[in-house]
Amino acid sequence: MSAASPRSSLVRNLLGATTLIGAAGSAAVYCSVGRERFWVNWLVWTLFLLTLGLGNLFLVALERLVGAHWSVPMRRVPERLASLIPLAVPLLLIAFFGVPVIFPWTYPEAAHNPILVAKAPWLNLPFFAIRLAVCVFAWMLFYAFYVRGSLRQDQDKNPAFTVRARRLAPLFMVVFFFSVTILAFDWISGLEPEWYSDMFGVYLFAGTFISGIAAMVLGVLSLKGRGRLSDVQTKHIYNLGSLGLAFTVFFAYIGFAQYMLIWYANLPEEVIWFKHRIEGAWQPVALLLPLLHFFIPFFLLIGSVGKKHPVPLRLAAISILLGHFVDLYWLIFPTLGPKPLFGWPELAMACLFLGLGSLQIRRAMGRGADMPVGDPLLVKGLEWQL
Amino acid sequence: MSSAIFAVLGLFSDTHKIVDAANQIRPRKLGRLEAYTPYPVHGLDRAIGLQPSRLGRLVMLMGVIGAGLALLFEGWVSAVDYPLVTGGKALFSWQAFVPVVFEVTVLFATFTAGLAMLFAFNKLPFFGHPVLHSKAIKDITRDKLALSIESTSASFDAEAARQALLDSGAESVEIVPVPSWDRPLSLVGFLRTIAAIVAACVVAGAGLYAAEKLIPVVPPLIHMHDQPKLNAFRESAFSADGRGMRPAVTGAVARGHLPPAFSTPEEAGILLSNPLPLTQAIAERGRRVFNDHCAICHGTVGNGVPLLSRVYGGKPGNFLSKEIGARPDGHYFGVLMLGKNAMPSYAADLDTDDRWAAVHYIRILQRAQNAKDEDLR
Repeated sequence: MSAASPRSSLVRNLLGATTLIGAAGSAAVYCSVGRERFWVNWLVWTLFLLTLGLGNLFLVALERLVGAHWSVPMRRVPERLASLIPLAVPLLLIAFFGVPVIFPWTYPEAAHNPILVAKAPWLNLPFFAIRLAVCVFAWMLFYAFYVRGSLRQDQDKNPAFTVRARRLAPLFMVVFFFSVTILAFDWISGLEPEWYSDMFGVYLFAGTFISGIAAMVLGVLSLKGRGRLSDVQTKHIYNLGSLGLAFTVFFAYIGFAQYMLIWYANLPEEVIWFKHRIEGAWQPVALLLPLLHFFIPFFLLIGSVGKKHPVPLRLAAISILLGHFVDLYWLIFPTLGPKPLFGWPELAMACLFLGLGSLQIRRAMGRGADMPVGDPLLVKGLEWQL
Repeated sequence: MSSAIFAVLGLFSDTHKIVDAANQIRPRKLGRLEAYTPYPVHGLDRAIGLQPSRLGRLVMLMGVIGAGLALLFEGWVSAVDYPLVTGGKALFSWQAFVPVVFEVTVLFATFTAGLAMLFAFNKLPFFGHPVLHSKAIKDITRDKLALSIESTSASFDAEAARQALLDSGAESVEIVPVPSWDRPLSLVGFLRTIAAIVAACVVAGAGLYAAEKLIPVVPPLIHMHDQPKLNAFRESAFSADGRGMRPAVTGAVARGHLPPAFSTPEEAGILLSNPLPLTQAIAERGRRVFNDHCAICHGTVGNGVPLLSRVYGGKPGNFLSKEIGARPDGHYFGVLMLGKNAMPSYAADLDTDDRWAAVHYIRILQRAQNAKDEDLR
């Protein structure tokens, strides 16, 4: 990597300044606006960064699991984006201090609520902390294994790592699905602990996966735009776009299935959760979600042009990432009240987290070679034909 | 000499060579390029100059039409043609329509893709391709790749095409003539085809019927008519009392069937008065109830002359008589509930509003038979 050019150091300074302003604003939110709003914002943005990182780690492991060749030349991008995990993990650990503020099952009144008493064996602070620790440990372990191992392979060109990475992928899948389900149940649906949906873990997984793909698309296009991934051809990008289309539909399918089952059964304790989120002031947000997360990317990606041309691909990826933020906002913020809150506290915290995330990604983008040059499958990936 | 040439075939045994050859020959515009290969060859479609298929757009269009039709149909059925409230949901509940809309979209899209691919783009039915009559066809279906230059106009130069194929590395070249169809489609052939289709249907149907009857269905699969269910009039081990039908809960009252607060029609005549206002709709309802239930004995005008034959010996009441006409509305209601002489109780057949509507109609009949002067104006 060349030494920092004046333009790139200017961007870095700007990002740093944004982060600092965001940090100051966030402190002001904590002191003057209220701890609840602070922690809810913190949770939304931590989960946003964490799910982007986890989604990309999942993409890396998925390639290993199915033995795909086509994505090998682009694999360094999700490996670098997975470095959001070591950024988001401390943020999630800090969010543990917010648990007694925003999670109703920790309130003293919970002892008088028969539903929460029945759920207490799962929803109690010690067990919650154990689950958090186990998940975080597993993510960091697999991150170190897949990303650092791949970087090491750049140097030593040891093909044994490729074999080991494939052998460990099934285990990663099991751990990943359990940990994402726990993340969804503990950190999102636990905010309204009387509500329950079996599918919720799959719902968060679907959002994680598709936004991981969207971030990878943006990363690949950005590197290619700078001429750093010139060996990645249209055929590779076309396949990535196809994957994006497939899992856009998957997310819509899971999201609608969860909604329709609850709508059909019409059980009061389940329906109330959706009633708070799709009626009244929340209705515009509820309509924005399928638009950004499904309709715009779906119609952009359905044709063969949309899957390989950078403009529609980039638009679709941005729409999905916006949709993923709206999704988390729509899942978490209704606990604060019947009206969507979006003011300077949200903007300040967005500056802090987006600044941190951008700095982390910028730093990671210079890590290692742009393609996994030590991977024996790289040649096959470059020669792969659609 | 053969008069017409269909194409000139060049055989290759290497995928890279055939793609290179196609790329060399395509710009020379000797004729339409086509390739016959035992397996798909990457890049060959572009090398022979195939344009991206328009099938995708057609599939998209038909998918959208399918979605729209399904939505219209479901909306029309549920909200317009047979409005039926289910589970307290709105008549037009789009949430419930989505799965069917999705399925119909997929159905239209896949059928369009399959059928348009076969019949519109690949121009089926096609009885015998000329290349099937070539000598090379055995090799093509085994391990050779064929590039063909098809004759598209009278100016087709077979010799130039042959030379071009040889120059670009073809192992052998064959000129395929247009086959002479000495036996076009005949009536006998057509009838045979129809007979074969009918025979296939009969055999398949009989086979399925036999399978259904002879092969036992093993649990957990069951025939639908053998499923465990409660039959209202059969014995059942499901309930403690051994009955399939559940008796009503003690003290339950059906809507419109309040138990009477009187024990004789005379008492009812004192206690009750007709609560229904006399409107056109109520009068029509009363006419319907009277004609369905009362007229068979009391006569359509209420004069007590039955519609039944004279063998029936009863003497139904004459509503037009002074004695019965003088009785209050409540008395009529009471007779309907409790029965009188040979007349059974109608408590189970008619609900409260039906009974009062019938009473209104009887009053109308009485008035019609004894019309006053001012009624005629």
